[in-house]
Amino acid sequence: MTALELRNVSKTFAGEQALDSVSLAVEDGEFFTLVGPSGCGKTTTLRLIAGLTEPSAGTVRIGGKPMAGVPPEDRNVGIVFQNYALFPHMTVAENVAYGLKFHDPPRGVSTVDRVQELLELVDLAAMGDREPETLSGGQQQRVALARALAPGPELLLLDEPMSALDARLRDRLRRTVREIQSELGITTIYVTHDQSEALAVSERIAVMNAGRVEQVGNPEAVYREPANRFVASFVGDNNLFEVQSVTRSVATVEGGAEIAVGEEVDPGDILAVRPEAMHLGSDDTVLEPRLESVEFQGTGYTLHCRLGTRDLLVKTAGPPTEPMQVGFSTGAVQVLREVEPER
Amino acid sequence: MSRAVDRLPTWSGEYLLPAAVVSSAAILLVMFYYPIGTVFAQALGGTVEGTGPIVAVLGSEFYLGAASDIFARPGAVPGGILDWVRAGFPSIEFGLIGFTVYQALLSTVASLALGLPGAYLLSQYSFPGRDTLRSLTMLPFVLPSIMVAIGFVAMFGDQGVLNDALGLLGLGSVSPMYTLEIIVLAHAFYNAPLVTRIVTAAWEGIDRRMLETARGLGAGPIRSFLDVTLPQLLPAILTGALLTFLFTFMSFPIVLALGGLQLATVEVWLYAHVQQLELAQAAGLAVVETVITLSLTYAYLRYESGQGGLSGLGRGPDRKPLFGSLRDPKRIGLLAYGMIVVVVFLGPLLSMIIESVTGPSGLTIEHYSFLLERQLTGAPFQVKPLPAIVNSLFFGAATLLVAVPMGVTVAVIESKRFVGSRVLDAVLMAPLAVSGIVLGLGLLQGVVFGTELLGHRIAVTGPVAIVAAHAVAAYPFVARTVSPLLQRVDQRLLESARVLGATRARVRMDIEVPLIVPGIVAGAALTFAISIGEFDSTVILAEGSASYTMPVAVERYLGNRTLGPATAMGTVLLAVTAGSFVVIDRVGGWWEP
Repeated sequence: MTALELRNVSKTFAGEQALDSVSLAVEDGEFFTLVGPSGCGKTTTLRLIAGLTEPSAGTVRIGGKPMAGVPPEDRNVGIVFQNYALFPHMTVAENVAYGLKFHDPPRGVSTVDRVQELLELVDLAAMGDREPETLSGGQQQRVALARALAPGPELLLLDEPMSALDARLRDRLRRTVREIQSELGITTIYVTHDQSEALAVSERIAVMNAGRVEQVGNPEAVYREPANRFVASFVGDNNLFEVQSVTRSVATVEGGAEIAVGEEVDPGDILAVRPEAMHLGSDDTVLEPRLESVEFQGTGYTLHCRLGTRDLLVKTAGPPTEPMQVGFSTGAVQVLREVEPER
Repeated sequence: MSRAVDRLPTWSGEYLLPAAVVSSAAILLVMFYYPIGTVFAQALGGTVEGTGPIVAVLGSEFYLGAASDIFARPGAVPGGILDWVRAGFPSIEFGLIGFTVYQALLSTVASLALGLPGAYLLSQYSFPGRDTLRSLTMLPFVLPSIMVAIGFVAMFGDQGVLNDALGLLGLGSVSPMYTLEIIVLAHAFYNAPLVTRIVTAAWEGIDRRMLETARGLGAGPIRSFLDVTLPQLLPAILTGALLTFLFTFMSFPIVLALGGLQLATVEVWLYAHVQQLELAQAAGLAVVETVITLSLTYAYLRYESGQGGLSGLGRGPDRKPLFGSLRDPKRIGLLAYGMIVVVVFLGPLLSMIIESVTGPSGLTIEHYSFLLERQLTGAPFQVKPLPAIVNSLFFGAATLLVAVPMGVTVAVIESKRFVGSRVLDAVLMAPLAVSGIVLGLGLLQGVVFGTELLGHRIAVTGPVAIVAAHAVAAYPFVARTVSPLLQRVDQRLLESARVLGATRARVRMDIEVPLIVPGIVAGAALTFAISIGEFDSTVILAEGSASYTMPVAVERYLGNRTLGPATAMGTVLLAVTAGSFVVIDRVGGWWEP
């Protein structure tokens, strides 16, 4: 069943096109992520779903029901913001209980029991009487999550909920969120600018750019088969080469390097080669870049190289050797056919 | 889907704001703009000795001195300037207005001199009671000005504490009363704490890492102060100076009580005109003054709005303990400053209390018995203490009821940005710029004397006009205390509550109102203080009626030969004011939300 559907949704703010005909369908119980650079429209999309702003055109449906004109309080969604947005004049328990003033707790439990249940779920059972500002950032964010979940919403909306936390805490909380989500089976829309986070937690991802959805798919598909140049460069590290001419199965790219390809390509196409698909030594394609710097990453090495006038990023298991020789097979080359979408 | 179980009817929030806006606008229109309008109308339409009242002011040697020729005989100005240059730049008189400006300038300089070391002390040193002292810088601002004036008379007057002390020591006597110096000192009493407050806030906002960076780059302590600290303090210092100049330009009771007509400023002269019922002259002068004060306020508001980001997010100063080695010359300087502060700020208040319980033959309660006797046996035309106290408290409470909702409404309007909101903002804040005397004059002429409308005489009574004058003077301060809190309310909080199921009206009640309550309480306290202490328009509106307040009573008793009754009444005023503040303080932490 489709829990959420956006059809041709557009939004203009003071003449600026923030969203341009966005269409999405999210399945029941799915963990769905909107990812993109800042200003791409992902937060606007979330706010449209919550009813905090109305679309200029198009329809939003939650559980099959059209949402036009339905105010946020009647949409039965839960939202968690980046800055937690806990009510500072209420205790932790009062924050969690706030939504229960307007909704009966699910399964007929009492408000007090429901609050305790939620605080236990986010592992803050003993913190009910605390003032929000006495909690750490991670704890505050868990309270915000409990508060959003308490009324038993149909949809959970998470707006960059981890961005204010440090890396280690972010990883832990991300797992907590994911565990709770699968335990409750609640349909979740997650907004982030961090593509690695998006890849790590999502069942499906929508990559957004400049108000448009560039690609929707599961993380592996988006990473391995990016639909276009933007997705290829935004999701994960990548090396992109624009084809200038083709002789048999060798493409000459911008800057003069020659890359062996296993399929037919045309001038103007983009060849994408992931840094980790390259290795030291020779292969179908051999490049001889100049090594600029080396970073040891624990699991391997990141080599920042210069190939003619462009940068080349290479990830290898072992340290670089002189002279530099970087090779990769034809199977490592993704071909992006640059068909400009009609705008 | 769960059922919505708790809903306030939507009208409770949806129509509250429009209703509040309409009633605030009505009060402003009838009790501020219409009265001020009548003053302007009279100034533009009336005549004084054959010319318009405004021309009579601008063209008069008395008001503008040498500069009056610019308006009276423009053709003679270039020749006049040449003559003046030829004569070797002799000193020139600029009349009453010139004197008012001169006095305000001196007062500003004095307030900066007395206030800036305080900002240094409060922002750079730590000591027990620092926070209390910082809060207390708000206090002089809300003390009734006539009471402060009485305090200065009690301290520096011919029979004052200072001369008593000098007499005891056999050192002869001094007579600083009715001099410019004493007025300037009293103005510094009022405005130096304001300067301290504004500059302290700015100084605390300077990220100390900036100074540390400058030091690390090789600048010495003095150089880094001049290059890093001072440029960031300058806007705050200028803001404080502009406000001080504006307040001292409009100052009335202090100049009246300490300067008399010999050292009259525009306000005092205006009052004299009103008392002699020379209303056309008064109107002309009122318009000239209002144009000046409006321009100053406009300059202040423009300047203030141009200064964003003064309150930095960085780390504040690393405060040094104040009590340490006395071999540090800075600490000795601060100690001396502390003594001056004690004398200037505590001296007048203590002197007032001392004078109220002493007489020629030592300790006495005769001044208080005088008040009691006046209460019991006074003639109907005499000013009695008890009605003054009752009136003051009544007007204070009534002012709260009007000014607090108005101020909150204005703050709400300010927090919304829409077409024309800046203009509306200016219209709503204009009362800050109009002196109490001018408003009193306008209310007297416009609504107390009444107006003919459709064959009926429409007039309001004195007490209503007094409450209106107090409310108009106070609500901008409520707006000023509430507005920052309202603007700081995170929209995400309101959105979270909406998504959790609360309606727009419910969000306002549950989330927004609780978050601005500290500002409302602080604004209410300010309002009450302003009402209790208000003298300028009250003295005009209470003239010859039974609506006199405590400050008016203090001034009436000052007319007598001895200081006793006035200081006794002043002490009563101090007690009532302090008592009210204790009550308000209990109701909510109001000093600094």
